[in-house]
Amino acid sequence: MHSTKAITSSAYAAITTIAFVVVITVVGELSEPFKEWLKGISGHHWTTKSIFSVLLYSILTVALSFVPGLEREKHLQRALRFLLIVPIVGVLVLFAFYTAHYLKLF
Amino acid sequence: MIAPSLALLTFFLHTALMDIFTLLQSKPVLIGLHLGAAIIGIDLFLWLAGKFKDNTGSQRSRIITALLGVSAFIMSWISGGFYYVQYYGTLVKPIIKSGAASWAHNISMETKEHIFLFIIPLAMTVFFITLLDKAKIDALKIRRSAVWLSSTVAVLGLLIGALGFTVSAAARWGLMN
Repeated sequence: MHSTKAITSSAYAAITTIAFVVVITVVGELSEPFKEWLKGISGHHWTTKSIFSVLLYSILTVALSFVPGLEREKHLQRALRFLLIVPIVGVLVLFAFYTAHYLKLF
Repeated sequence: MIAPSLALLTFFLHTALMDIFTLLQSKPVLIGLHLGAAIIGIDLFLWLAGKFKDNTGSQRSRIITALLGVSAFIMSWISGGFYYVQYYGTLVKPIIKSGAASWAHNISMETKEHIFLFIIPLAMTVFFITLLDKAKIDALKIRRSAVWLSSTVAVLGLLIGALGFTVSAAARWGLMN
């Protein structure tokens, strides 16, 4: 695999994985049946999220490496810039969500 | 004569392996592995950030540093995850929830356990960057991003550590009260 393409693919896969973790976590807290479904897969909702995140990241990294044009410099720079922002937003969203949930704001 | 010796050796090996396996599943060892491996991962990614920033270190040393860092975080993930799934929910969570700082579980632990899932994809992306040589990194104008991404991995690790501290402290207070 082209090294530049590997970085871009990994960065986009990481962005998607982080967003995925945030979304299924929030949905899981708001929907008990969904959380139970996650729990039913591996015995614990967190274990299922871990397995899903590893699978999603790995599959996407490999799949994106077949997308033509991703080795271009502008894609690489854009992907890395996004990857710097997404985890920070993810942390803030999760922290704010659990704080609001604890304070019974919803 | 050979057969009994072989059987004895197999028995001792099996016993030793079972002892190690049992030891690895004990709570203090799991917590120690979780914390120790995370500290190693944090240090290695901070070191890597410095290498990217100052443009020092051979490509081989950067690759090894990133690989060891990723491995350390994977070990921390597995040991911490095993502890969390096997023991935390039944032994620690009820103590925290019944104490004066139940927020430590509802906010700190819940946030911490999910932020951890961000680290491996981020760290793997940094590892892929180390596969490029210094000249290529500069030519692609991604050295600054490499510094920030390596630092983000380390800072996320530190944040998870700080949240973990509040959880442990809340459990101790819960036991005392």
